Amino acid sequence: MRTQSTHDGPAFRRAVRELVAAFRPGGDDLLPALHKVHHEYGYIPRAAAEEVARQVGLPAARVWGAITFYSEFRTEPPADVTVGWCSGPACRLKGGDRVRRIFEVELGIGMGGKTVDNRAGLHMAQCNGQCELAPMVWLNGRERGNLSMADAVRIARELKAGKTGE
Amino acid sequence: MSDYLDLRQRAEETWNAWQRPGKTRIIYSSDTTSVGRGLADTVAALEQGIAARGLDVALQRVGSRGLHYMEPVVEVADAAGGHVLYGNVTANRVPALLSAVERGELARDLAVAVVSGPDVAGLPRLEDLPFWQGQVRRLMQFCGLIDPEVIDHYLAQAGYSGLARALQMTPEEVIKEMLDSGIWGRGGAAFPAGRKWDFLRTARGEPKYLICNADEGDPGAWVNRMLLECDPHVIIEGMLIAARATGATYGYIYVRDEYGLAVERMNMALAQARERGLLGENILGLGMTYDMEVFRGAGAYVCGDETGLLSSIDDDRGMPRIKPPFPAQAGVHNKPTNVNNVETYANAPLLFRNSVAWYREMGTERNSGTKMFSISGDIVRVGVVEVPFGVPMSTVLLGMGGGVPGGRALKAIQPGGPLSGVIPGSLVDLPLEPEAFRPHAVMMGGGGLTVASEDRCVLDLVKYFLIFCEDESCGRCTTCHGGSQRMVEIFERITSGQGKPSDIDTLQLLAQTLQWSNCAHGQLTPTAPLSAIRNFREELDAHIREKRCPARACPGLINYEVAAQGSGLAEAAAICPTGAVVQEGARYRIDDARCIRCDACREVAAPGVIQVTDRFLPVEVVAAPAR
Repeated sequence: MRTQSTHDGPAFRRAVRELVAAFRPGGDDLLPALHKVHHEYGYIPRAAAEEVARQVGLPAARVWGAITFYSEFRTEPPADVTVGWCSGPACRLKGGDRVRRIFEVELGIGMGGKTVDNRAGLHMAQCNGQCELAPMVWLNGRERGNLSMADAVRIARELKAGKTGE
Repeated sequence: MSDYLDLRQRAEETWNAWQRPGKTRIIYSSDTTSVGRGLADTVAALEQGIAARGLDVALQRVGSRGLHYMEPVVEVADAAGGHVLYGNVTANRVPALLSAVERGELARDLAVAVVSGPDVAGLPRLEDLPFWQGQVRRLMQFCGLIDPEVIDHYLAQAGYSGLARALQMTPEEVIKEMLDSGIWGRGGAAFPAGRKWDFLRTARGEPKYLICNADEGDPGAWVNRMLLECDPHVIIEGMLIAARATGATYGYIYVRDEYGLAVERMNMALAQARERGLLGENILGLGMTYDMEVFRGAGAYVCGDETGLLSSIDDDRGMPRIKPPFPAQAGVHNKPTNVNNVETYANAPLLFRNSVAWYREMGTERNSGTKMFSISGDIVRVGVVEVPFGVPMSTVLLGMGGGVPGGRALKAIQPGGPLSGVIPGSLVDLPLEPEAFRPHAVMMGGGGLTVASEDRCVLDLVKYFLIFCEDESCGRCTTCHGGSQRMVEIFERITSGQGKPSDIDTLQLLAQTLQWSNCAHGQLTPTAPLSAIRNFREELDAHIREKRCPARACPGLINYEVAAQGSGLAEAAAICPTGAVVQEGARYRIDDARCIRCDACREVAAPGVIQVTDRFLPVEVVAAPAR
């Protein structure tokens, strides 16, 4: 993958080591270190996971296990716009599952996928208690709520056309 | 004690200055909900408008009052001391508000209530709003009153005085007061907090740790988020009191990843507390040493299980551990640890600021105190309320929440999230205490109450919870990950017309198997399907035997049809994501093979033009044989 290949090699690994230099083995630093990497690159490249493992003194397999266990860590670069689909119960009651089907069909991807042109990705998000906006999605973290199904179709089409949805 | 009084005096000076006597103030409510409803634009418009008009007005921030249905909420305090609350103040309404402020008048269209000061003709007092009636605000007493990012605001309300008192008591005395108060864990297990603290106090091993479980993973519950964002210091003070009682020297507040603002505000609050000598060594000059940090989760529901949370802090996947050993024996870093919910800790400062007698004035004999609830779904007023235990649920859902909008019937209530279940709307008068819910095969839970109207399918909601539980299973126990997967498959079949009468027996058998899972996640996954079998048997039978979804919601059991060649069909064809609205000559029809039942076409067409119908013809139902 294009973006991933730039996130490898000695220079990249050096940068990651610098980024996580303050973290220590034997304690509680794995998740904070992974958050830091995720925040910096928008995902956790494999090479970075290996460097984090070395820094906090854990086998790389265990670190990778943790990364894939938690749903908010990505292992691939994000799309230009990530559609966070709220899976919560208030959204569900108000047509949230239909919103999901619309985004999947319009974008031609499944939950967790990205369009080939990298314009849009679908992410299963969890309820954070903004339920007066149900049904809702987040476009790169920004709320679009009280959606009608027609709204969902229009947003998906705008994303396909390369608009950021802002 | 002198250290505390010094802090308090400084804080009161800051607080009094913030009140800006004789000056008009515009105070906006700031939490994740108001942000989601456009707070940033509102604040920008206020700043710009105040500058452009040259108004001599102070713009200030507070937390939310829980009036989430009308965020962004703005309070205007006039120079004479009158406070009026305005609701739904989106950026486009700011000019109208500022024009009124400029003229010293009321912006009548946006005004909601008088908060304090003189009465205003035609405007209710805040406490007379239906949303407020019956609420007793103890935990939330400062939510919406103080700036959560300024420690002095909390200190000026006698904040940390409960700690100052506890620090002059012995650990045994502190624990006795907790036990006498009857405060039990708000996370769901309802275990007496004082006993849990005593386990840690008497545990062997150093250092001892405290953990605040702010992982609030139940979708539909955000009561912890309210406190984290709007009154962070009440949680810190509660943990400090627990530290006094238990001898713990370090703590973690484990906040779920989805609560970005809560993480930010808790970090800010910890830094300010440290700066004032409320964390660190020799706290308040009274000898105790304790510090703590915010630990950010990364998206895993099982980390809400206390041992899953421990694994997560201990550099691992958040997989719940096998008990024993219990956290009080071997918790985080294998050291003695106490884990409590946000609301549990937040009750301690209230108790120690007041008294056991005061604390027990609210609630029932078995359940003293108050409880926060977040109400959502098909309800007029979405928000967070606080009521004494034992209040009828109808007071919260019908009174404060305003019931189901549009005159539709209240079909079902979902208390307590995915590991609880669904009860019929006829049980709306149940008292809000855990014991009342158990006979109906559900749990009251951590504070979420989601309401479903008559046009929603309960089985679809249950299916969602099963999908959720399957997805969030850590994978340790086959009973859990395999059992939940099997339950999802069965519900997928039932909701798409492939259900079999024997499915109900199979579900019950699976439920028994899931009981053998290690943690509550697997043990309680069957609650939702079992509650559906018990409480919504008729709806279940309609799906299984008649292949019919009475709410016409399950996509496998409905069709979309063009009922009349009326207006809006061209728009319907244009909006359809799959091209299923097909034009043939002048007529339109729906190509069933392409239709994904998203409802977009029916929305944009004129009413009645497109209709939802049952997919299968009515069948004669043969009654199940008696056994």
